Amino acid sequence: MTTPTKSRRPAAWLLWSLATILLWGTWGLVSKVASDGLDAYVNQLLYTVGLAPLMVFVGWTVWKHSPKENPAARKRGVFWAFLTGLLGGLGNLAFFEALVKGGKASIVAPVTALFPMVTVLLAMIFLKERLGRVQWVGLALAFVAIYLLSM
Amino acid sequence: MQLWLGFAVLALVFWGITGVTQKLSTNAISSERSFLWFCWAMVALSAVVLLVARPHAGLAAIVVASSIAGGALNGLGAWTSFRALESGGKASIVISLISLYPLLTVLLAVIILGERLSLLQTTGACLAIAAAILLSLETPPKAP
Repeated sequence: MTTPTKSRRPAAWLLWSLATILLWGTWGLVSKVASDGLDAYVNQLLYTVGLAPLMVFVGWTVWKHSPKENPAARKRGVFWAFLTGLLGGLGNLAFFEALVKGGKASIVAPVTALFPMVTVLLAMIFLKERLGRVQWVGLALAFVAIYLLSM
Repeated sequence: MQLWLGFAVLALVFWGITGVTQKLSTNAISSERSFLWFCWAMVALSAVVLLVARPHAGLAAIVVASSIAGGALNGLGAWTSFRALESGGKASIVISLISLYPLLTVLLAVIILGERLSLLQTTGACLAIAAAILLSLETPPKAP
């Protein structure tokens, strides 16, 4: 009888998550380097240039593999995705401006990473989602963190 | 309040709203299609920005390369985060783990850029990361 051997390879989700930390963590650093010589607007323009190759890849993936969606749902989804991009871009401009105005990468990155506090509040108000005790504690910690980081 | 902090909080608010709009989008279409239209909106916004931006020829190569790399890194990060969720990771664990990314920025900024944080700011950075993780944890479903 053979016993199944447990794989020692790390799970794929863990590797993708660690890659995300590496990519986003480094983004904070390079944004500060860029902000030392660029204004927020030019930074956003060049940022979009950097996004272009990925757009081509994802566009190809969507064309090849994306499931057929209901036209009404698709229209709705595209609307919200486009709005997400516009708001995300405005957020980028504010993030770059914070760095241009002298904010340290080591402080601006943790402050802006607190964006889920706005998401959970909005989800509670508009999507009628319930906040757990843990999230309330997170919200309180977020306010204390912003206060301490501003000192 | 320092001006930079005001802009950082503004970024936090904009990105916070995207947490809701992104959810509304991916409730209706695939994450890939959603990401693609997210990128098209970035292009549209950049076209508007082009009206006020004044790019000039004398920009330092390192600065231009860093900015372009920023777009690639952030976009790829969004893509790898989708892959993490699609490859079987529990959303509460994946998102909490990913919330650690500012820790790397802090480390890199201290080591490479020589930034220094006071004790209070270091405490604030640690609390911010802890808060981001707690906020990302899923809310238990409401009892019937």
